[in-house]
Amino acid sequence: MPAQDYDVLIIGSGASGGMAAHTLTKKGVNCLMLDAGPLVDFNRVRQTKQAYELPFHGFGEPGRLPHVVQANEFNANQWVDEKEVPFTHDPNKPFNWVRVRMIGGKSLFWARMSFRLSDYEFKAKDHDGFGENWPLDHAELAPFYSRVEPIFRVQGRREGLKQLPDGEFIEDTSPWSESMNRFIVASKRRDVTVTKMRRSLGRGQFASSFNLLLPEAIETGKLTIVPNAVVRDITVDRNTGLVNGANFIDRHSKREMHAKARVVIVGASCLESTRILLNSKIANSSGVLGHYLHDQTYITQGVVAVDKSPGGSGGTAGGYAPRFVNLKKGNEQDFIRGYAFDFNLAGTPDAKYIPAYGAELEKKLADYRGKAASVTIMGEVLPRYENYASIDKNVFDAYGIPVLHFDCKYGDNETKMLKHAMNTFDELCHDSGFETLAKHDKPWPPGYSIHELGTCRMGDDPKKSVLNKWNQSHDIKNLFVVDGSSFVTGGYQNPTMTILSLSMRASEYLMDQMKARNI
Amino acid sequence: MKRRRFVQALVAIPAAAPLAAQPPAQAQTGNRGAAAADDPKLEVAAAENAADGVPSFFTPAQFSALRKVSDLLAPPIAGSPGALAAGAPEFLDFLMGKSDAARQAIYRAGLDGLDAHAKQQFNKPFADLDNSQADTLLASLRTPWTFEEPSDPVARFLRAAKSDVRTATANSPASSAGGRRFSGSGLYWYSLD
Repeated sequence: MPAQDYDVLIIGSGASGGMAAHTLTKKGVNCLMLDAGPLVDFNRVRQTKQAYELPFHGFGEPGRLPHVVQANEFNANQWVDEKEVPFTHDPNKPFNWVRVRMIGGKSLFWARMSFRLSDYEFKAKDHDGFGENWPLDHAELAPFYSRVEPIFRVQGRREGLKQLPDGEFIEDTSPWSESMNRFIVASKRRDVTVTKMRRSLGRGQFASSFNLLLPEAIETGKLTIVPNAVVRDITVDRNTGLVNGANFIDRHSKREMHAKARVVIVGASCLESTRILLNSKIANSSGVLGHYLHDQTYITQGVVAVDKSPGGSGGTAGGYAPRFVNLKKGNEQDFIRGYAFDFNLAGTPDAKYIPAYGAELEKKLADYRGKAASVTIMGEVLPRYENYASIDKNVFDAYGIPVLHFDCKYGDNETKMLKHAMNTFDELCHDSGFETLAKHDKPWPPGYSIHELGTCRMGDDPKKSVLNKWNQSHDIKNLFVVDGSSFVTGGYQNPTMTILSLSMRASEYLMDQMKARNI
Repeated sequence: MKRRRFVQALVAIPAAAPLAAQPPAQAQTGNRGAAAADDPKLEVAAAENAADGVPSFFTPAQFSALRKVSDLLAPPIAGSPGALAAGAPEFLDFLMGKSDAARQAIYRAGLDGLDAHAKQQFNKPFADLDNSQADTLLASLRTPWTFEEPSDPVARFLRAAKSDVRTATANSPASSAGGRRFSGSGLYWYSLD
């Protein structure tokens, strides 16, 4: 049977690709979706095991997945094998590219932290003069956030904060714990707002395109999903200059295939999308494709402290403190932009932070159980041209596709910001009755947050950006890129809600353009 | 039948038998409609519950020092097995043998250093020290944690061993059977098709 021509080819089945399929198929658009990974039967591939049943007793196979800090011996098979699909970087500039290839993509595993960007991000240049503004603002994207949040069932508490706009939340009315109340009092004295975590509840065990977007798209009869389809490049009609499909390789047979479509939407994740476009040698008249790579700085266990007061039981003992620095003129720090705290006050410290061993250590661990504060510091990274991904022409993956090379490092602004963050959280702990065991201000290497952004950024000026404000290529009108690569700045907020909203908005714009026969 | 011989036998059948002589497919595959629940559930054992690992990475002196330091770092507590009963030193010998050169060097330099300090201060190997003597050589573990790794080889080793010995102990078959409170378990992912 000859292959049919589809209206739209969607590359990638994660948050962005899934939302494109969800939006377009409901409007009757015939879509083909390619994903490099398999459709996983989660009941079949996962089983509870004891660590001693694993070959390396939970330590993990030495040398496997050297860039995936999140990997352990239990979950090692869920990540992309770095030998099968390698990448390169300068040894002195490590980049931790963390990847998932399966239907649903990284939306199967995200931390579910669900935030909106504010105009401190969309219009960041107006605020501090650095970089570029987005070609849209919060008011333009707000209607789409408001439709995405109910799909993902975002729980949170409305605060009326300009730097973290409220959404359509399932209201979190749980009371704070006694230690949190102390912490909140201390925070208010320093103009730090503490709120409940904003988190996608999803349905069942997932908050993913796998269960929230793709099933409804399939129900329309308008979506064909092909798993194990590793896209090599996007093809172009030489007569029109428009894209007309993609070459891909079947993951199992290594057979070369070609899929045809009137429109191509790329949503393969920021860096895979960039790799596909660079290998296709398209959409780069600006010369910025692959540049302005940024993510968020992450410090885990930035401060570890133990509660010295007896405390009380019950209540929510963790929270989120959104950006509180550089919000007002005249009160600027020695760095621009800001950071957030994601923290917990009722944990147990890792044994490494306790200066003891043996029986004494075990006694202290028992004493500290449920009384330890720890924080993950998430800081904004400035998008800079000199941080980029490019094609390494000398290295190929198992499918013969050239791999990515990274040249990326954090700068002085990030260093100063993280020092400020560490000291501030340490002071808040002290002021609320905690004693510090350990602290540090050293982030994980770039990439660790799994929030890569910016390498196909949008903008009004085709000379400075890859996409227009509708996630549409400036160069090729029937090519869209709908994932995090389109971001101009990333802020300190986890990007998934913004990716989903941009993809919904771009897909509806595409529908309008198709109806008007502009595409 | 040993698994290897079983596999060899399976491989040999089609090569030796002419196609016409092959039995019908149904006879080879059995009753495919039978429920999987009818299959026997055979109980098997972890290798470490039936046999001992053979140390091969550390020298005898290093391994003796590792056993001593493991006993100090994870002693038996409240009925839970300690590092020695859990076979942590033997497991770490295996793990270090599979590890990269940098991690191997930390262990070798640290264990050699402990022995050298013991001989210098007490005229005997680290493994032969009593616990109060050994404690003086573990003083770096009583200092506050810093992000930077210690520059002293012994302190660097002790920091690594403190974590590794506790984990190897908690994640051992003995700890699982012995009810150690924090033995590890998790959701394991098989290879994806």
